[in-house]
Amino acid sequence: MRYGDFTPFDIVLLLQGLGVSLALFVSTTLIGLFIGTVWAVIRFYRVPVLMQLVTFVAELLKNSPVLVQLFLVFFGLPAFLKINVTPTEAAVITLSGNSAAFIYVIAVSAIESVGRDQIEAARVFGLTRWQILRRVIAPQATAFAIGPLTGLLVNQLQVTSLISVIGVMDLTKVGNILNLRTLKPFLVWTAVGLLYYLTAKLVTYAGARFEKRLRAHTAWKGL
Amino acid sequence: MISITGLRKSFGAATVLNGIDLEIRQGEVVSVLGSSGSGKSTLIRCINGLEKIDAGKITVDGFDVSKPRELSEARKRSGTVFQLFNLYPHMTAVQNVALAPIEVLKLPRMQAEAEARELLHSVGLTERADAYPSQLSGGQRQRVGICRALAMKPSYLLLDEVTSALDPEMTSEVLSILAALAKTGTTMVFVTHEIEFARSISSRIAFLDKGQLIADLPTEEFFSATGMALPRVAQFLSKMRKD
Repeated sequence: MRYGDFTPFDIVLLLQGLGVSLALFVSTTLIGLFIGTVWAVIRFYRVPVLMQLVTFVAELLKNSPVLVQLFLVFFGLPAFLKINVTPTEAAVITLSGNSAAFIYVIAVSAIESVGRDQIEAARVFGLTRWQILRRVIAPQATAFAIGPLTGLLVNQLQVTSLISVIGVMDLTKVGNILNLRTLKPFLVWTAVGLLYYLTAKLVTYAGARFEKRLRAHTAWKGL
Repeated sequence: MISITGLRKSFGAATVLNGIDLEIRQGEVVSVLGSSGSGKSTLIRCINGLEKIDAGKITVDGFDVSKPRELSEARKRSGTVFQLFNLYPHMTAVQNVALAPIEVLKLPRMQAEAEARELLHSVGLTERADAYPSQLSGGQRQRVGICRALAMKPSYLLLDEVTSALDPEMTSEVLSILAALAKTGTTMVFVTHEIEFARSISSRIAFLDKGQLIADLPTEEFFSATGMALPRVAQFLSKMRKD
């Protein structure tokens, strides 16, 4: 067997890369969901100063390339603050922040999609702003947000491939290594692409299932 | 008692309510009549605190609605039924009715839902208690809306053109329930275009025109020579009867 041949171990390598990509995707999505939702709630309560700050940060994150953000966190932060940032840490920070910014936008429009008239009804009956958010707005906003959120997450999954440039051993980085060793780019990148494709399909499928479940028990699909 | 003195409200340059004085005592059914745009709905929205008033004072059992601290107390005493129902679409009829008792009055869920079912039963919706608003007809939705207001055991029921979005058959469904409520002594402020019905259930009629209260009379006086002596009232009544 020559050095340039494929070995069964390459499959393990690819799957490991996929595992790293998935772990990063899931963890940064969860962190992003949390931060993005908190930001949206800050906006809902119109907290002075904080609200302006959130809008500003979200605008910055949305309107600059993720790769630039990644370089800023990985190379810029250590130089500026004299701290050590590992590639994985840089990846988690950057991708979480980026997801949070887009999830914030989706959450805000989902909250605004809930009709004013219902909110007025709830206010008249003496519900507090928090009770209205929790019982009236959140259930409807979640159902509304699932569609755009699924679209965003499929995109964020692809964006994780950028972290390979700072040396995280994700699926794309593994592809790069295999490519350099075997010099069979067509085969390697087809396999890598297919794995991303299948994962993305899985995300879409899960999103559709979840949306169906959220809306099945109500018949207000047309709303 | 709901007491309104010197109430003024404008939206931008448009003055909608221009100095209203009105008192609604316990046990009264007061119908508020007037042509579209006369400020009837705004009056209701000021009483329940959905609109900030520009001048004057509104108190519900002594609680000033323009003071945030007192507004919540005032709101506990009045229940509003809306023209377009304003039900929560993601909740069943029972859940719609039980939400405020659970969240605001802190009733246990079981008790609140049992009471909600009883209310729905009393308006003939026993079978539809677990349906979502989208599965109900307009008249059924408004009956849920009425139950939702009654579930808070309000001292005053504020009804904002509750039949305007309904066809005649559904209108009579809803009106018969209101008539029954009036008989049990429920205090109501009833903003409406249903002149004949207002006449049949009200103890008093308040007539609004261009943001001013131009008549506040016992029902029979309003519909007799006293009311007819007011040109705007005579004009309004003759027009409404023609339609």
